[in-house]
Amino acid sequence: MRRVASLLILVILAAAAVPARASVCDVPPEMVDSVVPLASTARGLQRGALRVLVVGSASVFGPGASGIEASWPSRFAAGLRESRPGLRVEMEVRGGRGVMADEMVAMILAATAPRPHLVVWQAGTVEAARGLDTDWLARRLNAGLEALRERGVDAVLMDQQFSRFMRANADIDAYRDTLRMAGAVHGAPVLQRYALMQHWADSERIDIERTPRERRVAATDQLNACLAEALVRLVLDGAADAGTPRPEPALSPEEAPRPAGGARP
Amino acid sequence: MEGSIDQRPASRPPTAPLRPRDLRADLFRGLALWFIFIDHVPGNWLANVTLRNVTLCDATEVFVLLAGYAAGIAYGGTLHREGWLFAAAQVVRRVGTLYVAHIVLFVMFTAQVGYSAAALQDSIYIDELHLDAFGQEPYRALLEALLLRFQPAFLNILPLYIVLLLQFALALPLLRRPRLLLAISFAMYVLTRSIGLELPSWTGGGWFFNPFAWQVLFAIGLALGYRAPGGPGPLLVLPWWRGLGVLAVLWLVVTFVLLFMTWHRPEYALLVPAWLMPFWENVDKTALHPFRLISVLAATYLLAHWVRADAGWLRGAVAYPFVLMGKQGLPVFCSGILFAFFGRLALEYSDGAVMQAGANIVGLGSLVAVGWLSDWYKKKERAPRRDASAAVTERAA
Repeated sequence: MRRVASLLILVILAAAAVPARASVCDVPPEMVDSVVPLASTARGLQRGALRVLVVGSASVFGPGASGIEASWPSRFAAGLRESRPGLRVEMEVRGGRGVMADEMVAMILAATAPRPHLVVWQAGTVEAARGLDTDWLARRLNAGLEALRERGVDAVLMDQQFSRFMRANADIDAYRDTLRMAGAVHGAPVLQRYALMQHWADSERIDIERTPRERRVAATDQLNACLAEALVRLVLDGAADAGTPRPEPALSPEEAPRPAGGARP
Repeated sequence: MEGSIDQRPASRPPTAPLRPRDLRADLFRGLALWFIFIDHVPGNWLANVTLRNVTLCDATEVFVLLAGYAAGIAYGGTLHREGWLFAAAQVVRRVGTLYVAHIVLFVMFTAQVGYSAAALQDSIYIDELHLDAFGQEPYRALLEALLLRFQPAFLNILPLYIVLLLQFALALPLLRRPRLLLAISFAMYVLTRSIGLELPSWTGGGWFFNPFAWQVLFAIGLALGYRAPGGPGPLLVLPWWRGLGVLAVLWLVVTFVLLFMTWHRPEYALLVPAWLMPFWENVDKTALHPFRLISVLAATYLLAHWVRADAGWLRGAVAYPFVLMGKQGLPVFCSGILFAFFGRLALEYSDGAVMQAGANIVGLGSLVAVGWLSDWYKKKERAPRRDASAAVTERAA
């Protein structure tokens, strides 16, 4: 009897170990599907040169990670190159600690020479920490997303990080809802960072808040790698949904002098 | 209270109350208070079944509407018996209570944030969380909190309520002219939304809830609740029109479908006609977007006509705890905000099924207990006074 029991335990352990080893970053596929076609990104991929602008608050520069190369934007660029050998990814990262949506909109509007194919916009954290009214945030998100849509630039929103401390001390759901609504209305997929991180924490794979200090940097690197992987999947899925892209539309005057780095008019 | 009994027409039987209490208002206010508690605990699984998941409006709208309704009944009576100045003084006294309650809750909230920040000192990995206003400028934050210009998360309903009551103290005489009251209130609402009138907030933007916009819902509640003394019922009655009822149902169904396609399942957003999106772009809660206002009024219209005031189940065991909570709105509301602190701390510690169930059972149980206790206390407090006055009458006889 005891032998049967120990055999059973072994079988269960083996069964449990296999999926856990598959990948730390595994997520339910629907969380990284983009239902919105990303046409401009598809054009960039097809031409072999993708220009990406990342705008966000502190997390875009990878605080707590082993270095800037381990931040999620850097890992995202690396992930794109890996999945499309030969692809040139020109990435610009703007923002910083405490930057709010109004400044982010200005950064997005300023990025015209050359115009990016894709803007990854991480927003809503500072507003939630400071308790700004959600209408304030919604107006700026709407303005930024509308401007990008008019310019034919794809936008992907990224919502807040999951943290039990933040959840206990800020009205986080109201700001998540604001991002989700803005994304849905303007046809911008949202990388649900909060839900992804909660999924990894609940399945005890990556849980920075409960990771001992000495392992925190490694865990943060892992988190950024997983976030970047999810973002790559979301973006490539959106680009695939766009099908065979039409040729790039006529360049606007300020974008005319190419290659990049040409003088502004 | 005694005054109203003196004015009782002679034809009424002496024991019948002048105006039977509308238990529906108590029930829905009790439910709103429970939902406010749930929605103040992010991560609570029950938050997926509260009002905001099915309509554009949520418990805040219900709470404000019914607060107006109760104020119309309570202060309307005082207005008749004692006049404007006395009634206004009573409203201001209530404002004082609310203000003190708000400041106490603010201090407790700050202590909670400070405690969990200290406990988790090196595990706060989100850099922005160090940017909270109190941590950066504590002295200034204290001043701004006293001025109600700094409202930390979850502490934004009481400041709204305070300003609503202050406006009400000024507008009290308009209770007798409900159409004029509603016209002025609606004009103010339109003006607020069109020119972006707002009260400034220290942290940027305006108040989380703009009182100049939300007053319209409070005023509608006032007009629904106020009854002239001796009169048959409220001055303004919206009878049941089948056409309007159908419209209300249609509105709620259509907005639910849109909510489902953009908020619950954003992947269906592409199927929503593009021309609709500009209207749907920002249904803001801050200044009570008209869609939210229409939603809460449509739901109220339907429920007020579908749920009869004399329905037996309103006195049943299921409704009882919520009716009790609704009757004692203020103490239950304030303790709900307080219990939500503990709920959030509990879920911060663990958010598994056991803790979820525990936090919700203890939370709701405590709210009902507060309701029961204040109801019992108020009855007890009132009873000896009646005995005493009866004794005086006997002696005089």
